[in-house]
Amino acid sequence: MLKPLFTSLAVSLGSLALASSALADYPQRNIQGTIQWGAGGATDNVVRSLTPHVEEILGTTIVLTNRPGGTGVIGMNHVMRQRADGYNMLFGAENPQLYPLMGLADFTYDDMHTVNIIGQGLVVIAAPENSPFDSFAELLEYAHENPNELRMGGTGAGGLPSTVHAMINAVDELDVRTVTFGGDGPGITAMLGGHIDFMPLSLAAAGEQIRGGKLKGLAILTAEEIESLPGVPPITEALPDIESFLPWGPFWGVFVHQDTPDDIKATLEDAYEQAVGKEEFTEFLQNFGAEPLNLRGEEAQEYLSNWQSVTAWSMYEADADALEASPEELGIPRP
Amino acid sequence: MSKKIERVQAGEKVFDWLLLLLSIGVLIEAYRIDGGLRLNSAGSFPVGLALVMLVSALALIVSHRYKRRDERIHSALHELQVFLHEHFKPHIVVFSVGAVIYLAAIVWASFYVSTFIFLAAMFIYFRQGRVVSSLIITTAAIAVIYVLFTVVFRVYLP
Amino acid sequence: MSDTLSFLLMAWLNPGLLGLTALGVLAGIYIGAIPGLSVTMAVSILISFTFSWDINNALALMVGIYVGGVYGGSRTAILLNIPGAPSAVATAFDGYPLGQRGEAGRAIGLSTVMSVIGGLIGVAVLAGTAPYLSDLALQFAPRDYFLIAVLGLLLVSSLSGKSLSRGIFSVALGSVIGLVGMDMVTAQPRLTMGQMELLGGIHYVVVMIGLFGVAEALYQLHNLAKVPIKQKVDKIVPPLNMVLKFLPLSIRTAIIGVVVGALPGTGGDIASLFAYDHAKRTVKNPSRPFGEGAYEGLVAPETANNAAVGGAYVPMLTLGMPGDAVTAVIIGALVIHGLNPGPMLMIETPHIFWFTVGNLALANIFLLIFGLTGIKIFSKIVEVPKAVLIPLILVLCVVGTYSINSNMTEVYWMLGFGILGYWLKVFGFQMGPIILGVILGPLLDESYRQAMSSVGDRSGDFLLALVSNPLSLVLTSVITLVLLSNTPLKGWLFRRFGRS
Repeated sequence: MLKPLFTSLAVSLGSLALASSALADYPQRNIQGTIQWGAGGATDNVVRSLTPHVEEILGTTIVLTNRPGGTGVIGMNHVMRQRADGYNMLFGAENPQLYPLMGLADFTYDDMHTVNIIGQGLVVIAAPENSPFDSFAELLEYAHENPNELRMGGTGAGGLPSTVHAMINAVDELDVRTVTFGGDGPGITAMLGGHIDFMPLSLAAAGEQIRGGKLKGLAILTAEEIESLPGVPPITEALPDIESFLPWGPFWGVFVHQDTPDDIKATLEDAYEQAVGKEEFTEFLQNFGAEPLNLRGEEAQEYLSNWQSVTAWSMYEADADALEASPEELGIPRP
Repeated sequence: MSKKIERVQAGEKVFDWLLLLLSIGVLIEAYRIDGGLRLNSAGSFPVGLALVMLVSALALIVSHRYKRRDERIHSALHELQVFLHEHFKPHIVVFSVGAVIYLAAIVWASFYVSTFIFLAAMFIYFRQGRVVSSLIITTAAIAVIYVLFTVVFRVYLP
Repeated sequence: MSDTLSFLLMAWLNPGLLGLTALGVLAGIYIGAIPGLSVTMAVSILISFTFSWDINNALALMVGIYVGGVYGGSRTAILLNIPGAPSAVATAFDGYPLGQRGEAGRAIGLSTVMSVIGGLIGVAVLAGTAPYLSDLALQFAPRDYFLIAVLGLLLVSSLSGKSLSRGIFSVALGSVIGLVGMDMVTAQPRLTMGQMELLGGIHYVVVMIGLFGVAEALYQLHNLAKVPIKQKVDKIVPPLNMVLKFLPLSIRTAIIGVVVGALPGTGGDIASLFAYDHAKRTVKNPSRPFGEGAYEGLVAPETANNAAVGGAYVPMLTLGMPGDAVTAVIIGALVIHGLNPGPMLMIETPHIFWFTVGNLALANIFLLIFGLTGIKIFSKIVEVPKAVLIPLILVLCVVGTYSINSNMTEVYWMLGFGILGYWLKVFGFQMGPIILGVILGPLLDESYRQAMSSVGDRSGDFLLALVSNPLSLVLTSVITLVLLSNTPLKGWLFRRFGRS
């Protein structure tokens, strides 16, 4: 029964001795993949449908584990503390870019190496089917006349609805009651029952409800109307000034430890670029209500910094008191 | 419930006070969440629950106020002896200490090695030295865990 | 109509699907029986595993595991007093005493038959009333979830044994444990004592494994030399008259199970606790006092938690909204397979609905077969000498806890809860109320704050809403009734109005 120990000992000794040549054979064993969010959520769905394609390319198994909690802090913290050997990957969403701002943690994706930015989700502001409002402009007008009366569904500080709310407040004023739910799902359920008046949601979560006529799309967070959701006006119709923040949306990415050897980083980047580019997966993403990005290297870095600066500054302009630190203190440039 | 007068067990009153202490600790932690009493905030329920704990712990202390310990116990020192005799029997202590060492060992000696040593040691100790059969049971148990968790469920054990 | 029938019977007639369902049920029973291995986890692993499969095959396997897993939790609850899953916590209250009387075989047999009856009632309700039930479920506003949580907390009086103050302390302690972690609304850490590992909260299965598994193991160390009880394994299949006698109770608790299961915020764990409480309140002459091995105390939670499976599928299939954690993962599986779970699912792909209904019914038939076989060997677990069993239980608790989130810190917490649980047990505290608190505490906090925010933080409006809406009024009245019937006020009212 001590055999597994000896084998692993032999393997690790061997890999120490043959460090340079062994790296060329990466991957030699299973890769541990940590998902920052729970089973059945958007990040989980995207990652689980992408992984089989990557496994095929790399010729190894990626063992996926969900480590949810603390807006993703726990999963990310775990991967950052593992060895930088390319056998531990993080699958995450946009949230870590705001950790220092929210005072949740002192790290962001800048402290890891980005393998791939898979895609970006679209955001829609939805209302119940029997809502008196047909567009976001109408809702905004009502809210101006009756402040603090409408009920907006939220997912807590730093969640997508609160960020969208901040963006709107940065260019206009929307004074509402925020009712917080454990996620998109519970929020949609409450909206179907008419217990809240509207909620900014990811299209992945709300698209089917809107197409099925159970929810009404008041605005989509883009500068132009999109093909997959005809009849839903772009938010710029109600709020032209918000265009400076667009395109904006939640994103999903793959990350490894900063100190991972360069050739392993390259192997992974190649594999993910190929997998995300597969037609089968691209179709899945579009069907899911997201657009594929497939960014690596410099481009990915640029995307991440841009996302961070747009989001951080809009949140700062909307309500500086709700933040633990100002973007200026954290060295985040203005968009 | 018996007709006899209910008596507190050895150490029960001390335990009541410990629960009260725990409640106070929770109350302090809860109060620190938003530093005041508000009707709808992160701290409202934790503070409320801590108060419930505090009140029920007090109720326990009051209800035990007039209950006596067992007649055969004549002094606080004797109570301590009875308490230790009841809950700190050698094999319980060995098991608990073994469990703590085992958990600490998992991180630096890997799961399977430390589990093997823990199980083998406990079996041999509890079964009064039947070494060979104990080792066989241990091996079988580890094999089952390996197949079930590592192979089938792909749980990455440390 | 003929289309519907062919979808309904698809799993019954196709040997491949038949085999996968059977395999799923069998695997599910063992997954459910091992604390820490959860159905949610098994199904999410299956998603990657069945990625390239046909969707029907993948669904058949998942349905099988779900049905088997919910039932499997009762096995270890009866045999070892360690519920394999949170929905089996209530099963341990009377199931374990039955095992201690040497009736483990009978208890498992009875729980199997009752689980199947509950499961089938759940399927029937799903097939017949899914759209109406989901409409009803949507009517539950945050304030109603708050009222349900309050109603749930009143169960403490049936779960706390002889001392109510101990029970109340335990519920509050459990709720506090449930609230540890990052606050959902403001994202500030609550009761984490500065520990980053605690930001995500303490998983309630960690608490359950510690309180039931480790505490029980430590407790049993006291009588290490005690010879295990010989199990009678001749009477496993319960006689028909016994089943018929409990049928009215199981139908009532099955309905509790389906409705609670269909509510998107509550699941089988809460349903089985409500069912246990219902049995305790309504059954005047149980076969034995509750808590000492009453068959009724076993029948009620077992029918309810399996009926909740059918309930959980109601919002999932009609609205694309999960009824519990497992259906949330199954929705993910549908998405990955290119289907669009949502209100259009039943209209665009009606075969998924009828296939699932047929498959659930089939899984329950397999449950009957597999549940009633192999009991003899299973019951022998109780006869394993404690010297061997107790170290093994500890190792199982460690592996089980670690597999939830692959987190060693949670294993340390589990051991901590075990030691705490041991002392609480020694001094007459029950474990049930603590688990009740852990499950309901977060629901109470969440729904209360949602309800308060909805009315703009005006407590007057909040109280008014509790009695002005028909559904809330019903729940408020039930709570008032239960409160009255539990206090001396009842006797006074009875004397006052009973005479005149």
